[in-house]
Amino acid sequence: MNLFVSEGNPHCVKVLAAVELTGVKCDISHVNHEERVVPYLSRPTLPALALPSGLHLFSPNAICRFLFEASGREASSLANQWLEWEATELQPALAQALHLSALQGKRTEAATALQVPLSVLEQGLRKRATPFLSGEEVSVADIVLWGALYPVLSDSSFMTGELAQVGGWFQRVALLPACQSAVRAVLTGKGAESQLKAYLQKQPAPHAQRREAQPCN
Amino acid sequence: MVFWFPAPPQVPVLQINNGPSLSGLVTIATHLVQEAKRPELLGDSAEQRAVVQQWLEYRVTKLDNCPKEEIKTILKDLNQYLEDKVYLAGNNFTLADTLMYYGIHHIMVDLTVQEKEKWANVSRWFDHVQHYPGVRHHLPPVVVSRNRLYTGGHH
Repeated sequence: MNLFVSEGNPHCVKVLAAVELTGVKCDISHVNHEERVVPYLSRPTLPALALPSGLHLFSPNAICRFLFEASGREASSLANQWLEWEATELQPALAQALHLSALQGKRTEAATALQVPLSVLEQGLRKRATPFLSGEEVSVADIVLWGALYPVLSDSSFMTGELAQVGGWFQRVALLPACQSAVRAVLTGKGAESQLKAYLQKQPAPHAQRREAQPCN
Repeated sequence: MVFWFPAPPQVPVLQINNGPSLSGLVTIATHLVQEAKRPELLGDSAEQRAVVQQWLEYRVTKLDNCPKEEIKTILKDLNQYLEDKVYLAGNNFTLADTLMYYGIHHIMVDLTVQEKEKWANVSRWFDHVQHYPGVRHHLPPVVVSRNRLYTGGHH
């Protein structure tokens, strides 16, 4: 198995932390943001995992889920719910917030863009009252949400008093050795900010979030 | 039962008798398949299960609310992906086919005959799925010609 990652990309932080944590063996290739690894996708998409069957996984969350399952840890319905929430609700808000803060220097606006998702996370953690999102042990949901939020929450000015649970949870996950080494691999020290910027500049500009009524099937 | 997870509008919520509620289309569909003891619909190996989850995620992140100008890219990518596959996860029908079918139906309805031929692999997959027992329900069938009407178009 071969895992392709690029520097500065927060999604790569997720998958590298999952590799470390699960101990699943795979070769890691560091490539450029523009490298087209997945043959059938028009746009370069990283990270990507080339499976033994020849198929590619191009969704960072599916890659993390696969690594956890390969090490005998299947995601619970609760973990699934957080993964879906991360992809559909958190990611659009994050794309906007990162664009505002890292590329335009508008930190207050960036914090506003994340208000709703962060309060959802705070409520979820408070209601469950477990150290991790889906229970007593770290799960794929913790790794995925932590990795996604890393660029904003590692900057302590985003943390407000109303986010006490989020703060505690984020620290708990961040202290795992697997997470620390994933951060080092993708965001290498003092160049971290410019690496994130370089990554963001390659992403399509986030359009204002819109949710239209969908046929509910 | 208190909804501990505040679901945004338009996100489906499943209230379970003896537990907390679940929200999100993929989460609920996956849960119901497990409850129905049909694990094969989620894939029959760790690899296949990851592929199924990937396309389920694709449905709710890329396909839903996709801007008009993105539709062509989605069709192009899917067409390339499906070139050597019967279903999204390979040779077996899975939950990913059902949810992608429902998500893409409104796009397929609007395609011209020429466009359906241009995206021949998507059309073939779509036709398989809409004829799969129990999938189509109330949705109108989309006519997919099995014989090429136009020639010379490049793919």
